[in-house]
Amino acid sequence: MTGSTGRIVTIARKEFVHISRDWRIIGAILVLPLAQLLLFAYAISFDVRNVPAIVFDADNSAASRAYVEAATNSGFFIARGSVTSYAQIDQAFDRNQARAAIVIAKGFGRAIAEGGTAQATVLLDGSEPNSAELGRTYAAALNHVFGSRVLAEWSGTRGASVPAVGSLDPRVRIWYNPGRSSAAFLIPGLMAVIIMIVTVQQTAVTLVTERVEGTLEQLLISPLRQIELVLGKVLPWAILGFLDTVVITAVSLAVFNVPLRGDVLVLATGMLAFVVSSLSIGMVISAVAPSIESANLIAIVISFLPGFMLSGMAFPLESVPPFLQAVSYLFPGRYMVDISRGVFLRGAGWSILGPQVLELFVYAAVALTLASLLSRRRTHG
Amino acid sequence: MNWRRYRLIVWKETLQFRRDRLLLPIVFLMPILQLLLFGYVVGADVTNLPTAVVDHDRSVVSRQVTSMMSNSGYFRVVANPATESDLQPLIDSGRIKVAFVIPAGTADALARGQSVPLGIVVDGADSKSASVAAGYASQIVSAYNQQRLAKVAGRVGGPTLNTSVRVAFNPSLKAVNATIPGLIATICMLSIVAIMSQAVVRERARGTLEQMLVTPLTRGEYLLGKITPYALIATIQMAFVAAVGRLWFRVPFNGSFFTVALGLVIFMFTSIGLGLLISLVSRTQAQAQQIMMFVLIPVIVLSGFMFPIESMPAEIVPLTYLIPLRYALVVLRGAFLKGASIPDMAVPLSAMVGFSVLIFGAAVLMFRRRLGD
Repeated sequence: MTGSTGRIVTIARKEFVHISRDWRIIGAILVLPLAQLLLFAYAISFDVRNVPAIVFDADNSAASRAYVEAATNSGFFIARGSVTSYAQIDQAFDRNQARAAIVIAKGFGRAIAEGGTAQATVLLDGSEPNSAELGRTYAAALNHVFGSRVLAEWSGTRGASVPAVGSLDPRVRIWYNPGRSSAAFLIPGLMAVIIMIVTVQQTAVTLVTERVEGTLEQLLISPLRQIELVLGKVLPWAILGFLDTVVITAVSLAVFNVPLRGDVLVLATGMLAFVVSSLSIGMVISAVAPSIESANLIAIVISFLPGFMLSGMAFPLESVPPFLQAVSYLFPGRYMVDISRGVFLRGAGWSILGPQVLELFVYAAVALTLASLLSRRRTHG
Repeated sequence: MNWRRYRLIVWKETLQFRRDRLLLPIVFLMPILQLLLFGYVVGADVTNLPTAVVDHDRSVVSRQVTSMMSNSGYFRVVANPATESDLQPLIDSGRIKVAFVIPAGTADALARGQSVPLGIVVDGADSKSASVAAGYASQIVSAYNQQRLAKVAGRVGGPTLNTSVRVAFNPSLKAVNATIPGLIATICMLSIVAIMSQAVVRERARGTLEQMLVTPLTRGEYLLGKITPYALIATIQMAFVAAVGRLWFRVPFNGSFFTVALGLVIFMFTSIGLGLLISLVSRTQAQAQQIMMFVLIPVIVLSGFMFPIESMPAEIVPLTYLIPLRYALVVLRGAFLKGASIPDMAVPLSAMVGFSVLIFGAAVLMFRRRLGD
């Protein structure tokens, strides 16, 4: 066994020499994840504000102006000029100058003064469904608030005693993230995704490169066994990948003030297993791919698509068809996102997250074995 | 420009491409996988969220509110715990995502004309569900309030507001209708940049580039010959995505085919240029791969393809104007959903022309310089 360990260490040292010769690679490993963290954390958010809106006020009365003001005062819609016909609204939507239009029918002011029914419409551009959905929520609330104000004023001017209308007041409480900070929402999941994107790429090309350059044959005539080769190749990247997770965690805590409520040891163990799992996926790709191009493409496809999208990090998995839910269990991202969110946001410990950590270790072992079996088949076949 | 030499280069590239027995299957598997994921994961609309209701009031009002919530289709009531402290284990275990807490005395307070806080608890660890659920719930509560208000106003003859909120172009607000048109441009960029970024650096690494240069082949012929097969592959991929989007996901198409085709051709040049630039600045294939990842990830995140630009912070938004994919998305979504014509698309189209001249031009210039040394 000592001979075996020695051989693994030798391969790992050789791999380190390769890495340290190419300073750009080192830069990529350390800078890429941080750049991604900053980018994702700042750019991704599901809160919508400042939706550009145009106003078509056919009434132009004090009441209609008050309605427009109520709509644009809150910062959800921002007024981007006014128009005088429906055709102009169409044009503004087509040209992306506005995503919402506030339309007030003629006679709006008179209807309010006389106790009639005043007509107003909020039109939303549905080609961006997320903003349109929030716009709908916002417009509904606006109409209620304005409607009750109008009724109160009307009864005030007439001296009529209108019974006060009670209303339900929605108080949204967001657990585990009361400040509603998008960064706290996203970063724990983001970590897993970034590490996946960076690590799969690294090992995906290593065996292919050795094969293309002809050095793989030289390695094979040495007393080295396949599993030793695979382990030796994974080891240095595992160390670097783990360093990455430490750096990302530190930045998340220091810069983004993400709360860390749970057991750090659970997180660290999970991350280690996750890094090795992702690297092993890369090794499997490397064992199968015939060229650097195809290794590249498979690595991108896998780390981007199932790795990112089926991890549950940005897109909820409950609304996904059962078939794809099943597929999501085949990629380590899903387990890691659970662990990471559990530790950071919910303060969970071993009792809740133990199974997921164990699953990741099993995953890593299976993937490593698969990679060494596949690489043997490739090189002997 | 010699037609025969050009054809030979195209043939050589195609042969090389086919020799890699995995590359062709991946190129065709990629759009299928992306359609599946973008159609069903990003395009998934959040409905049927598992919900708990803590009803301390047990009145007509609380039953009305509960049934409005469950009739909306967004919430599925799966538990009715007696107290609020029972919610903790339900949310922790993931059995529910949302809970409504209706305080005792709600009906009486409403009758007295007071306002009553209605608790909406959302699992904040799941970002999208959380924001969507909070939005739906507030919307339903507003509608309920509006109904009550109209009733009272009607009784005393006071004014009412008859307002409607209408959604144009995508009235069902199906996310997939916005995702699939965007995917057409995104897949074009991904596959072209991934393959093109290796194209020149590979020949240089293997030393075959020098062999090429001593033949009578001109640089223009070499470049065009290299681009052609990949442009063809990307076109097939895009046509496939468009066909599946129309026929399987039933994405509406209201625009002109010509607008879409024009936009995509312009966009393809920027992608080819980007791939070539990466290939030219890299010294090894591994570097080309790293640079590609470094470029593609921000491009996709900032383009508005997955995450709406409206929700990005104001400091980030100017950066999105530097992303050609952003304009391609505007053109495609505009053509598919809004039926926008070329004059409507003048701004994004001309921005794309500018970018393709800039990027493709830079690639060609660099290609000539690099191949000269």
